[in-house]
Amino acid sequence: MTNQTAVLDEAMEIETPQESSEPAILSGPSEARVAGLPTWFREQQRAAWTKFESLPFPNRKDQPWRFSNVSALDFSPFIQPAQLTQKERDEILELSNGLKEVAGRLIFADDQLLRRDPLPEKLLNSGVILKPLERAIIEHDDLFRRHFMAQPAALGSAKFAALHEAFVTSGTFIYVPRGVEVELPIEIFHWLHGANASVFPHTLLIADELSKVTVLEHFRSAHQDRAGFGCGVNDLVVGRGAKVNYICAQNWNDKTLAIQINATTAARESSALSLNVHLGGNYSRFESLSRLMGEGARSDLLAISVAEGSQEFDARTLQDHASPHTTSDLLYKNALTDRARSTFGGLIRVEPHAHFTDAYQTVRNLLLSDDAEANSMPGLEILADNVKCSHGATSGQLAEDEVFYLLSRGIPADAAKQLLVAGFLNEVVDRLDHPAITDLIHGLIEAKFARR
Amino acid sequence: MVKEASPLEIERNVGNFAYPETHTHDAGVGLTEKTIHFISDIKDDPDWVREFRLKAYQTFLSKPMPTHWASKDLEAIVFENIRYYLSGGTQPKRSWEDVPDDVKRTFERLGIPEQERKFLAGVEAQFDSEAVYSNIKKAVGEQGVIFVGSAEGLKNHPEIFRKWFGKVIPTGDNKFSALNSAVFSGGSFIYVPPGVKVKHPLQAYFRINAENFGQFERTLIICDEGSELTYMEGCTAPKFNTATLHSAVVELVALKGAKLQYITVQNWSSNVFNLVTKRGIAHEDAEVKWIDCNIGSRLTMKYPGVIMKGRRARGEVLSIALAGDGQHQDTGAKMVHAADETTSNIISKSISIGKGRATYRGLVQIPKHLKNCKNNTECDALLINSTSRTDTYPAITVRGTGNSVQHEASVSQVSAEQIFYMQQRGLTEAQAMSLSVNGFVNDLVRQFPMEYSVELKRLIELEMEGSVG
Amino acid sequence: MSQLSITKLYVSIGEQEIIRGLSLAVPKGEVHAIMGPNGSGKSTLAKVLAGHPDYKVTSGEVLMDGENILELAPDERARKGIFLAFQYPSEIPGVTIANFLRAAVQARLPEGEELEATDYYARLYEKMDLLEMDRSFTSRSVNEGFSGGEKKRNEILQLAMLEPKYAVLDETDSGLDIDALKVVAHGVNSMRGPDRGILVITHYQRLLDYIVPDHVHVMVQGRIVRSGGKELALELEEKGYESYDEMKTEAGEPVLA
Repeated sequence: MTNQTAVLDEAMEIETPQESSEPAILSGPSEARVAGLPTWFREQQRAAWTKFESLPFPNRKDQPWRFSNVSALDFSPFIQPAQLTQKERDEILELSNGLKEVAGRLIFADDQLLRRDPLPEKLLNSGVILKPLERAIIEHDDLFRRHFMAQPAALGSAKFAALHEAFVTSGTFIYVPRGVEVELPIEIFHWLHGANASVFPHTLLIADELSKVTVLEHFRSAHQDRAGFGCGVNDLVVGRGAKVNYICAQNWNDKTLAIQINATTAARESSALSLNVHLGGNYSRFESLSRLMGEGARSDLLAISVAEGSQEFDARTLQDHASPHTTSDLLYKNALTDRARSTFGGLIRVEPHAHFTDAYQTVRNLLLSDDAEANSMPGLEILADNVKCSHGATSGQLAEDEVFYLLSRGIPADAAKQLLVAGFLNEVVDRLDHPAITDLIHGLIEAKFARR
Repeated sequence: MVKEASPLEIERNVGNFAYPETHTHDAGVGLTEKTIHFISDIKDDPDWVREFRLKAYQTFLSKPMPTHWASKDLEAIVFENIRYYLSGGTQPKRSWEDVPDDVKRTFERLGIPEQERKFLAGVEAQFDSEAVYSNIKKAVGEQGVIFVGSAEGLKNHPEIFRKWFGKVIPTGDNKFSALNSAVFSGGSFIYVPPGVKVKHPLQAYFRINAENFGQFERTLIICDEGSELTYMEGCTAPKFNTATLHSAVVELVALKGAKLQYITVQNWSSNVFNLVTKRGIAHEDAEVKWIDCNIGSRLTMKYPGVIMKGRRARGEVLSIALAGDGQHQDTGAKMVHAADETTSNIISKSISIGKGRATYRGLVQIPKHLKNCKNNTECDALLINSTSRTDTYPAITVRGTGNSVQHEASVSQVSAEQIFYMQQRGLTEAQAMSLSVNGFVNDLVRQFPMEYSVELKRLIELEMEGSVG
Repeated sequence: MSQLSITKLYVSIGEQEIIRGLSLAVPKGEVHAIMGPNGSGKSTLAKVLAGHPDYKVTSGEVLMDGENILELAPDERARKGIFLAFQYPSEIPGVTIANFLRAAVQARLPEGEELEATDYYARLYEKMDLLEMDRSFTSRSVNEGFSGGEKKRNEILQLAMLEPKYAVLDETDSGLDIDALKVVAHGVNSMRGPDRGILVITHYQRLLDYIVPDHVHVMVQGRIVRSGGKELALELEEKGYESYDEMKTEAGEPVLA
């Protein structure tokens, strides 16, 4: 390389995206990624990669993938992203607008930690931990080993859970000690930045006995025109009598392939509420396992999706009642337009001896165009008696008389419909008793409508 | 309202008797192309039927067992150990007088000739592979109604039956529809001419007498424009120690404006694998209604379906399943909407007793560009014991803005307070339980013809005995 | 002998003792009323007499015409002649009143004897007329979707149809407006007679204006603390149960008498 071409080289470097030199994910995790992680963890990751390679690819004929467009699961374009420049980091931080008041905040982009707003002194003193996962692997080795991906990926994505495990390098570790209540939410951002970048976000939350915590997680794309791949796993461990709210605001761009696998375990007398808002992604698969492990445990599973264009949302859930006197309540709503598709496959399973269970499951699909398609597979497997279980699934459209009523008040047709769709979704969002977060979610939904 | 005593005398154990076998035609054990030629030879099939069978046999071999989504119990079926054809001849008798004594005694014990006299328009009684008796009341025959066996229908009325045979349910629909297509024998072929409303039901009774046997009847019913028909089938078998296979294919066609109601009271003994494919096509303004009661068998897998092909067609499945100890009733419904303004309704009630398992599987499809289609599904399950199990697995696909579906399912049990209340009025615990269970199915049973609803209640009472205390 | 007699009855649910040495006799031909504040154990007594499995009789006896009924299953007692009008009657979906009552009447016939349907309906309609019930009532499912008044009327209809030797009416007036109360009381009064003993359990004196008792007992903390004539009910109405407060502490002690 001569000096004369040096300028040209630099220019070329800007024009040719960095990713061409970065390894594809399908070639396996690069060694550079995992430098600094303990040996035992790296070995675990190598085993996970072998598992990923050996497990069969999903097939639509398999019940967990029925109706799913499995051909969308093409990982070949995606690469392990490059290091971000300072400028890029600053730009992303600029975009990271979320809640005004938080207890603590972590911001990641392309799996790199950009910023960490630590917890206030008081919480730190009471023993609350909020730190990047890679540090927790070392510093809280026993807690980490006990809970990290301890629940099997039982809803079809065992292969992709293995992929996540093979690649995960960072994420969030939260521990709330016995009796401590974290009043303000903990906020986490995951950004996709590079073209064809892949990220493997992980959140491990342990709420000890009688503690209380709310976690809000954002998934966003820094560029609307770049393809990306997000493959996340969350472990939410809710201890005896604890109360956990988990909110996911998934707002990837519409060129993103997204897989998210969540597992919640609820101990005796505890209460777990999750609200999953799915707005982005080209194909977004979401698996949510909720295990009720102790008497008196309660789990609320809430989700909404707004699907347009050729977006596909595929949600699979399992409400697993492993203990008597437990309650779960699921409410999922999808609003679909254009050629969008949604699939819901959910199961309430009441294990033998889990008597006096109350379990409910409701799915509502709102079809706003002739080509939109909604598939519903609610399910019950009841192996105990003295249970109260029911499910309901409906698919329909906006009521004409409601639309007409709004029109008669002078509201234009588009606005009227938008208002009614928002109302349809709000029934779910408003079940969360947290005004700042519900406002934020309303804002995200409105922004999506406004883009149309 | 006071109910008369039942005219039907089927009960759970009344079918449990067998006479020594006296079959003159026996295809032996196992299934090869030779078996199929044997059957075709005896039945004197036309060439196209023989070819249809041989092709279906290949399809059967190539199809996997549907075990990935259903029950592992299917693996207990050993196709090599089954006898595929047994009969004393292919010509059914027109009079009970001519039916061989032991076979006649069988049906007399089951009360068939008596019912025929009382309230039926025609009866076909199948004993193992062939109908031994087939008769239609003169007045009904004179209206042009054809009621014959499957082989006779294909041979003598190809212009009517060939058009629809194997079209509602293609051979390759599943492994068991392919098996039936290869070795089918017996069953009813019915044609009701335009505008003819058959007042009384036609009935078929299916009896398995032989051990290690497979019964593969094939039924095709065509209701021409504006006609109406109710068809009822009953079935029993003695209890053997080895598995018996019943694998029927039933195809229904309701042309424009026709109404076709198909009622089943399945009371097989608890060694029978009952793997049946049933589907109907409803044309414009036509209605196909399945009333399906599953009381017996070891494992039943049956999901009656309706394809609503013409505008305003209606499909309905009313299903009651009673899964006693050791039984698995895997039943449900399929509703495929293929025209505007079609409506379908599914009501399923199941009761699981002891270690019984009742499963509902449903499929509802409303493809795009259809307008004003509606489906309503209700599944209610009742659990009697703490070891009982129930599952519900519907799959619903809807496209477009003009359609609506609604699905609801619930699981409940008879509460201890309810039982105590009834005991306080002097009923024993078992009586109280049986009354509650009958109450659970009552709104559905009320829609059945009188003769069947009374019988069904009695069957439920018998099943409930010994389930408490 | 011809009486329902309860002697030194102790009853617990779980660890908690609710009835503590209660003694009471209701002879045939008489109407007795038990009054008492909430939580005094009145409803427990009713359920124990009917044999509810949740309650455990730890000692004492209950004799019906001299026969110990505590060992009998609930349905056996019922057929021997004890009837409980429930405070909260169960709903039995899908089972019509006609069929339910028919099964109950049939259960009282000797084995092999079939109920004569015409007679049964004639009697049913007669009792329904007495209780001012519409004929369409018979085809409704037992208690399902019934108003409070309809449920109580249905209980009295069953009482009239089953003609027990002893009837226990548990808070039969709760949830009734004055018109319904009169109808129900009329039904009960028509059942009074030399062959029947009636025990009315109530919180309010109101019902006793219409079903006038021969004897009134006050129940506090699981025991009868005072007995008297019908005027006792009026006294309670006036003074309330406060004057029995001092007995509460006493009643907390084990009573061995």
